[in-house]
Amino acid sequence: MAELATMGICEIRAGLAAGEFSALELAEATAKRIEEIDYEQGGVNAFLEFTPEVAREAAAKVDARLAKGDSLTDIGPLAGIPMAYKDNMNLLGTRTTCGSRMLENYESMYTATCVQRTLDAGAVPFGKLNMDEFAFGSSTETSAFGPTRNPWDLERVPGGSSGGSAAAVAAGLLPATLGSDTGGSIRQPASFCGVVGVKPTYGVVSRYGIVAFGSSLDQVGPFARSVEDAAYVMNAIAGHDPLDCTSQPVSTDFTANLAEGAFGMRIGVVPAFMEAEGLSNEVREKMAEVANALKSAGASLVEVDLPHAQAAMSAYYVLGPCEAFSNLSRFDSVRYGYRDPGHADLGGQYEASRAEGFGPEARRRIMLGSYLLSAGVYDKYYYPAQQVRTLITEDYTRAYEKCDVILMPSSPRTAFKFGEISDPTSMYLSDMFTISLNIAGNGGMSMPVGLGKDTNLPIGAQLQAPQFKDENMFRAAAALELIYGKAPIAPRYAESAGE
Amino acid sequence: MAQHVTERDVRDIAEYTRIRLNDDEISQMTIDLNSIIDSLAPITEYDLEGVVPTFHPIGSLSNVMREDIERESFTQDYALSNAPAQQDGCFLIPSILGEGGDR
Repeated sequence: MAELATMGICEIRAGLAAGEFSALELAEATAKRIEEIDYEQGGVNAFLEFTPEVAREAAAKVDARLAKGDSLTDIGPLAGIPMAYKDNMNLLGTRTTCGSRMLENYESMYTATCVQRTLDAGAVPFGKLNMDEFAFGSSTETSAFGPTRNPWDLERVPGGSSGGSAAAVAAGLLPATLGSDTGGSIRQPASFCGVVGVKPTYGVVSRYGIVAFGSSLDQVGPFARSVEDAAYVMNAIAGHDPLDCTSQPVSTDFTANLAEGAFGMRIGVVPAFMEAEGLSNEVREKMAEVANALKSAGASLVEVDLPHAQAAMSAYYVLGPCEAFSNLSRFDSVRYGYRDPGHADLGGQYEASRAEGFGPEARRRIMLGSYLLSAGVYDKYYYPAQQVRTLITEDYTRAYEKCDVILMPSSPRTAFKFGEISDPTSMYLSDMFTISLNIAGNGGMSMPVGLGKDTNLPIGAQLQAPQFKDENMFRAAAALELIYGKAPIAPRYAESAGE
Repeated sequence: MAQHVTERDVRDIAEYTRIRLNDDEISQMTIDLNSIIDSLAPITEYDLEGVVPTFHPIGSLSNVMREDIERESFTQDYALSNAPAQQDGCFLIPSILGEGGDR
C-alpha cells in the first residue's frame, strides 16, 4: 500500500472520511515505508528515533473515535495524520537529543506544547528527526549522529538545521513534520528539499518544550508538500500558551483564504537583493519568473528597499551566539546531559563534560557568545546589534506600507554537496536571505517553485509577511502552487510510491 | 584578518565557558573566532546615534503576569531521573570541599 503512505493531509482526510482506509492501515503503510527508505544504508537518515508502536496506538485511537461516530472535525485538523518532530522538541516517551552527544540519553520529561497540540488534533507520532547539533548549522552535517541526506541527491545536504524534518517530507515518508527556525532553519532546508516550510511570526507558536537556542529568535513551524497541508498544521499548533509568555492569541484559520490566491495583492521585490554577491544565476532567474507568475495571478509588483539587510547578517551572528551562550550554560553535567566519567573535582568534570558533549560548532558559538558579551566588547557588538535590529524592523515597517508580501529567494543557491562548505563564515552566508526575518520577528515561508536550470535541484521562493499577517504569505503561496504544482516527492523515492 | 582575540584570550574564554580545549584546538578556535568576528565588522560601522535598541521582536509586549496558582510539579525522583549520578535524593557531584576540591 505504498500510495497510501505518500498521501498528503488533504487526501488522507478525504480517504478517512470516506472510509477508504483506516488510520491504522495508514500508520502501518507509513511505518513500512520509513523502515524501507530511511534505514537503507547510505539513505536519507532523517530519523533519530522511530516509534511505530506509539504510532499504531495513536492511530487505533483515531479509528476508535471514527467507529464511535465522531467526525474528523470532532477529532481535529490532524486526525490520523502521520507526523514526526525535530529532535529539539520534547515528547514524552522519546529522547530529545538535539543532535548532540550532550543529550544522547536525555529522556523527555514532558511534551512540548507544539507537539502536544498536534497530538490533541489527532496526529499520529512516528518519532524524532535529525538536525544540526542544537540547531547550529545549515546542513545537518553538525549532527553528532551522522548527517541527513537530501532525497533529491544523496550526495548533497538537505539544508539545516531542520534537515531531517525537510528530508522526511521530501522523501514522502510523512505528509508533515515540525521544525524550528532561528535564522532560516525551516525555510532553507525546505528550499533545498523542495517542500513547503513555514516560519510563522514570532509568538504565533509556543516555544514551551523546545530546547532553546536564541530565545528572541526561535519559532516553530511546519513542513508539508502542499500549502493547504501546512495550513492544517498551523491551525493545530498556533495560539497562546500560558506556558510561553511570548506566545500570542491567534484566531487565524490558515486554510480559509487560500482560494483567494494572490489576486489584488501587492508583492514587494527588492532589486538590490538580485545583485547580491553569492546569489546563483539560476536562483536569480527563477525569482524573476516567480515575480511574473504572481503578476499573472493578479498581484501587482512593487519595488521595496530593505537597506539594512546586510547588517542583519552581522547582527544575527552577534545575537544568536550571545543567546546560545546563555541558553547552553545550563548543560552542566550534573542535572542531566553528558558527564565525562572519573573526575575528582567539579571544575574538571564541567570542563571535560562540556568539551566532550558539545561538537565543534556548538563550542564555537558558545565561546563567541561569551566573548561578545564580555566587558568592553558588549558595547562594540551586542548593543549595536540590538540597535541594528531596530533599523531592520523599521525597514520592514516601511516596506510593508507599500506591499502585503515580500518575495525573495530562500537560499542563494540550491543544495550543496557534503563537505563543500567547510569554512564557518562561508556556511553562514547560506542564510543571507532568511536571517533578517528572525531579527524582526516576522513570518516567512519557502515555496517550491521548480528546479534550477543549471543544477536541476529544487529552488524555494521565500514569501515574507508582516508580523501576525501570516495569512498573506499563505495566499501568495497558494497562488504559486496553482502555477508550479504541489511539492513533488523526490524522484528517487517517487517511483516506489507508484507515481 | 585583524587579530581580535589572541590564543591567550581564547584560553580565558574556554575557562569562563567551562570547555576544555587542547593546544591544537585553542589555535584553531583562535583562527575561527577571528574570522567570524571579522565578518561582524558591519555592525560597528553604522551611525547608530540615538537609535533605541530592540531587545525583543514583539514591541508591544510588556511584563506578562499570571495568577499565582499552585500547579502540579515534578516529584523529586522524577526530577532526578535524567541525572548522570544521584545519591539520597540529591544530584551527586565530586567533592567541592577538602581534598580533591580544587575550586
